[in-house]
Parts: sequence; structure tokens; C-alpha cells
Amino acid sequence: MLTLLAKILKVLNSEDSPWQIGWAVGFGVLAGLLPFGLLTLVILLIVCFFTINLSTFLLVWGVCGGLMLIFGEPLEAMTWQYAQNPAFLELLASTESLQLLHFHHTLVLGAFLLGLFLLLPLTWLGAFLVIQYRRRFMTQMRKWKVVQMLKASKLVQIYEKLS
Amino acid sequence: MIRKSGLLVFLALLAAVFALVYLFAGFALRLGMVYTLEKAAGAEVNIEKVGVSLAPLALNIRGLQITDKDQPTHNSVSFAKAQAALELWPALLGYYVVQDLSLEGLEFGSERRRPGKVYRGENADAEEQIDLSDVLRLDIPNADELLARVDLQSKEKGEALRKLMAQQKEQLSGLKNKLPEKEKLDTIQAQIKALTESKIENAADLATKAEQLKTLQDSLRQEREKVRQVKEELSQMRTGLEQSVANVRAAGEADWRRLQELANIRDGGLAPLSEILLGDFWGKKISQLETFYRLIKPYIPAEGGKGAEEEVEEKPVLPNRILPLPRQPYPDFLVRNAQLQWLVAGGEASVRLQNITAQHAIINAPTTFSVDVEKLPRLATFSLNGDFAVREKMTTNVQWKMQGLVFDEFALGSGDNRLQLAQGLLASDGSLNLVDRLVDQQATLLLQKPEFRAAGNRYMGQLAELLNRQAEIPLQIKAAGQLSEPDVSVRSSLDKVIGDALLGEAREKLAAVETRLRQQLDATLKEQLGDESALLASLNRQGTEVDDVDGQIENMLNAKLQDVTSGAKDRLKDALLKRGKDD
Repeated sequence: MLTLLAKILKVLNSEDSPWQIGWAVGFGVLAGLLPFGLLTLVILLIVCFFTINLSTFLLVWGVCGGLMLIFGEPLEAMTWQYAQNPAFLELLASTESLQLLHFHHTLVLGAFLLGLFLLLPLTWLGAFLVIQYRRRFMTQMRKWKVVQMLKASKLVQIYEKLS
Repeated sequence: MIRKSGLLVFLALLAAVFALVYLFAGFALRLGMVYTLEKAAGAEVNIEKVGVSLAPLALNIRGLQITDKDQPTHNSVSFAKAQAALELWPALLGYYVVQDLSLEGLEFGSERRRPGKVYRGENADAEEQIDLSDVLRLDIPNADELLARVDLQSKEKGEALRKLMAQQKEQLSGLKNKLPEKEKLDTIQAQIKALTESKIENAADLATKAEQLKTLQDSLRQEREKVRQVKEELSQMRTGLEQSVANVRAAGEADWRRLQELANIRDGGLAPLSEILLGDFWGKKISQLETFYRLIKPYIPAEGGKGAEEEVEEKPVLPNRILPLPRQPYPDFLVRNAQLQWLVAGGEASVRLQNITAQHAIINAPTTFSVDVEKLPRLATFSLNGDFAVREKMTTNVQWKMQGLVFDEFALGSGDNRLQLAQGLLASDGSLNLVDRLVDQQATLLLQKPEFRAAGNRYMGQLAELLNRQAEIPLQIKAAGQLSEPDVSVRSSLDKVIGDALLGEAREKLAAVETRLRQQLDATLKEQLGDESALLASLNRQGTEVDDVDGQIENMLNAKLQDVTSGAKDRLKDALLKRGKDD
């Protein structure tokens, strides 16, 4: 828990641009919603290729993966209900690459569409919050005893050294 | 914006993922399988090792044992080694296509080295267990039993006749009201008589009277129309009644034929012993296939199993279903080839299956299976083959051939009727066709070198002695109808032999059964027919009355009218002749 908090603070205080963190949040949510598969690897490739904050991405991916254990079933049921469009099903049947990405699987399709829909707003929100944090709270928070205690803890020092 | 080491990081992550899969997937799968199987079986499950290989993509399972929860010292199922080789491209598309599945050392009921833990108590459904001694009976059925066993058609037809008769009685009383009133007809008759007998003075008088006559004639025609309608209705009623009575009589005859067949009375033999012995037993065995049907039903896709029955769409339970694409390159699940080595009764059976799936329309081929067993200590040969497909309906075809099955001691009946089959060999061949829940099965059973023992009454002693003299006892078994309640017929040439051999009392009893049966059926028929003849007589009486009225009206319409006109003509002619003479 402490390392998690330290990790968040470290990322927020790092020199990475807010947009790098914002994109990491957006892609982290997208990867977290999706069941592990080829699409996840594609997202991972994008994240690795571009200077997107990896720590934030991995953190958000993990958190959202856990959330899907709760919301997976209603999302799947909703996708099953709304994806029964004959033209769309015909497109899926005739395009093997879409099947390769598992878009004919309800949960993958539902999660991907939801993640895609949330990608830009979450990216913008993430970047906006980082900017606001750095402008308004960063200096004050560094003075907080809890933060100083955290920074002084051995675990965080080891973590900082390693990273 | 672009991370130079990005590809390297990605590849490192990918390698880590593959390494994790390679190293821990087997372990994770083993845990998952043990958990799932224990939950399903309610007893300890042991798996020695589960391994995943990436090239070729395959799952290997070694040493699986599922404890029998009713007998924890034994396994319900176990096998030494299983391998499933998955096809990569379908797997990437999300379909589970197994190219080759092999299972070695499959055993049912093998002994465990140490007893397994049991997590759930006795679950066996007592209703599904068959108690042979309760099922098999060895007595001559009485007339009441036979009548109860046959669904008498004459009862149904008789009920229809009774309803028709009640309706016709009501209709008949209504018909009387539809006939013209006698007083009215008499009045018209009197008026016509008065008109026809009156003198016609001149042409104007003739015209007036003709007009009056026409009015009466029109009135009579209306009455005649009513009479004809009544006649028509009466005729229809009579035809309906006669038809219904004929139906009841025909149904009675059909019932009698069925009863004769069931009791084997026609051939002068004993009641069909083979059917009494094996009919219900075989029926129950067939109905056990219902369990098989229920077992595989959840795996049949809804679009494939659309029947006229109570199909209720199940709510999604497991997330991530495959959308119903108009065309699917592969079934959701398919095993192209499966080979099982089954250790059974001190020997081995080789089981081969092809195209295991529930979506046969996609691969346009049925699931085929064959089982070959040879040289077991207690069975010479057994082969079974067939196919199974789920398309518009679920269709299964099975053929089998068996030679030299050695019997354990086997008891038929109980108490005084106990007949013990001490030894014998069984040969059988047959076929079974199952379409959804409709079964059609034919089998020949040949009991060779039987040795029966009987205790109790002397009939059973006679029977055992007679059976022991037979080198072979052939049985023809047919089953058809609903799987849960098949109509089973068991016939054997032995029935006649037994019938002829068993003397005296048995024959008398049989004759008594026949007489009683005929009497009961006749009584039922008489009761069904009821006062049909009385109603028919009343219909005929009413018909005669109506004919009389019709005749009376016809006479009034024709004869009297002709008299009037001819009289008028004569009078006119006379007047003209007189005027001519005067001139």
C-alpha cells in the first residue's frame, strides 16, 4: 500500500509531461477492461512505442482489471443484447482480422468499445488533473509529514534507487 | 514522442508473458481443473501433472483420478495420460479446435491407493435406480390388468357418441318446434278446399280466386321449406349417429385385436412371457437414455436444438460468449479425432471418435464413434458404432454386435416367482435410432446354454425345466416412442413353446382370461353405446312424421291447384261452347 502510494506520488512529481501520464491512464483503462488477448498486446505495443508513462499504465491496467470482475457480467449482457445487428454480424463473419482480435466475443467487443469511448476523455482528465496537481498541490504536499515519512521509508528509498 | 527502446521493452514484456505461461500455466490449469472437478464430483480429485506446450500448442494431463463419492476407495473415472493438441489459428480466433485427443488408460471404478476424500453426501437419486426384482413379474396377467394396460380406444369413441346423443336429443326436441303447426295446415287445407269447391262465376272471380290460391300456395311453400330443412337436419343427425356408432364398434374391434395381441390369445399360447419378463425392464433401460439426453442437452446450441418443446432461453451465466455470426469458420468446440484406450473388465476397449461437437451444421458432418472390445475374460467380442448430429433435431444412430457375454447369477422375480439364471451366454445385435426424444430401437438377444433354477411354486419349476431344455432362447425386442416412456414389445418364439408345454390349469386360466376379457370389453362397449338404438328409432319416427307432413303439403300444392284450374278451364270451355251454339 505504501509503495503504491509512493509510486503514485513519484509519477505525479516526475518530470513526465501530464499528457504522457494522461495517455497512460486512458490506455491503462482500455487494457484493464479487455480480457487478455491480442488486443492487449497491441495496446502494450503502442504504450511501449510511444513515451507513455509505463508505471501509470501498469497501475491503472491492474486496477481496472479488478473492476472488470464486478462489471464484466453486466457489460457482457449489454453487448450481447445490442450487438445482434445483422449487418454488423455479417461484417464480423466476413472479416477474419476482426475475429482475430476477438471482436466476435461479447466481452472483448463491449470492453473495447467502452474503453475506446473513455480513452480521450480519461486522457484529457488525467492530464488536466496532473497539471492542476502540479500547479496547486505539489509544493504543499511535499511538506506533509506523511509524505516525508513515506520518502524516508526504506522501501521507498529502495524503490527510488531501482527506478 | 517515440520511445527508442520501445520495441525492446515490448519484446521483453512479451517474452515474460510467454515464460509465465510456459512455466505456470500448467500449475494454474491443474489448480483450476482440480477445483472445478471436485466441485462437480463432490469428492477428491487428483491430477499428477498438467503441462502446456507452445509448439505445437497442446495440453497434457497425466494421472487424473476422480474419487467415487459413494465408494471412496475407488475412482469413478481415472486415466493415465491425456493429450489434446489444439489448432493454433482457430485458437487465435477464439474457437477451440482440437486436432487430436488421446486418452490412455481410461478406467471406471479402478481401485485407489488410498481412499479419497468425499465432500458431498449420498446424492444418488433412488428413483433412477432399477430394482429388478420389483420390475420383473412372472404371473399370468388377469383381464383387468390387460384392460388397464391397453388404452381402450372404444372408451374415447363411446364418450364422443354419448356427447353426440345428448346433443341430438336436445336438437330433436327443438326440431319438433320447427315443423308447421297442424292447426295451421288444417286451416290452409280447409281454405283450399273451399276455394276449389266453390263455383267460379266469371273471369274476374277466377282471377280473384287464383290470387287467393296463390297466396295460400306461397304460404304452403314456406311451410314446405321448413319441413325440408327439418328433413335435412334429421338426415344429417341420422348419418352422424350411424357414423359415430360405427366408430365405437370399430374401436371395440380394434381394442379386442390389441388385447388379443397383448395376451397372445390369438395364437392359443400363453401370455407373452418374454414381454412380461423383459418388457418393463427394457423400457426402463431405454428410458435411461433420457439421462444421457439431459446430460448433453446443455451443450447443444439453442439454434440447433429448437424443438416444439418448452425451450426457455437461458440467462447468460458465463461472460464472453461468441456472437451468433451468420457464418462461423469453426464450431465453438470441436475435437477432430479422439482415441480412447479404455481398461475394462480385465481387458481393453478401443474407442474412436471423430468430429466431436454440438454444431454439426458448421462442419457438415456428424460425430461418429466406434467401440471395439475383444477377448475380455467374460465377453468374446463387442463392437458398437454410430453417429450423432445436432441439426434441426438431435439425431443419434447406433448399431451394436455382441458375442459371448457370460452372465453372473441373475434373479428374475422374487419370492415364489423367483427364477434364477445360474449361467448362460448372451449374444445380441441391434440398432437404435434416436431423434430428439423419440426412440426407435430393434434388438435381437440370444440367450445360449441357459441354466435356470426355480424355487417356490411348481409352475416356476416346470418353466425352469423347460427353459433349461432349450439350447438357445431368442428374443426380439422393439422399443418405440418417447424416450422417457417407450412402448416396448418383446417377442420370442419360446412363448409359444412355453404356452404349448404348460398344461392343464395354465390353459384353463388362459381360457378364463380370454372369456372374461371378451365379456368385459363387450360390457364396456354396451355401456358406451347406451340407448343409441332408442335415439335412432326416435329419429326414424320423427323422419316418418316429417315425410307425412311433406306429402300432405305436396298434395295440397299439386292436386288441389290442378283441380281448381282444370275446373275453371272446363267451365270456361263450357261457356264458350254454349256461346258458340247460341251464335
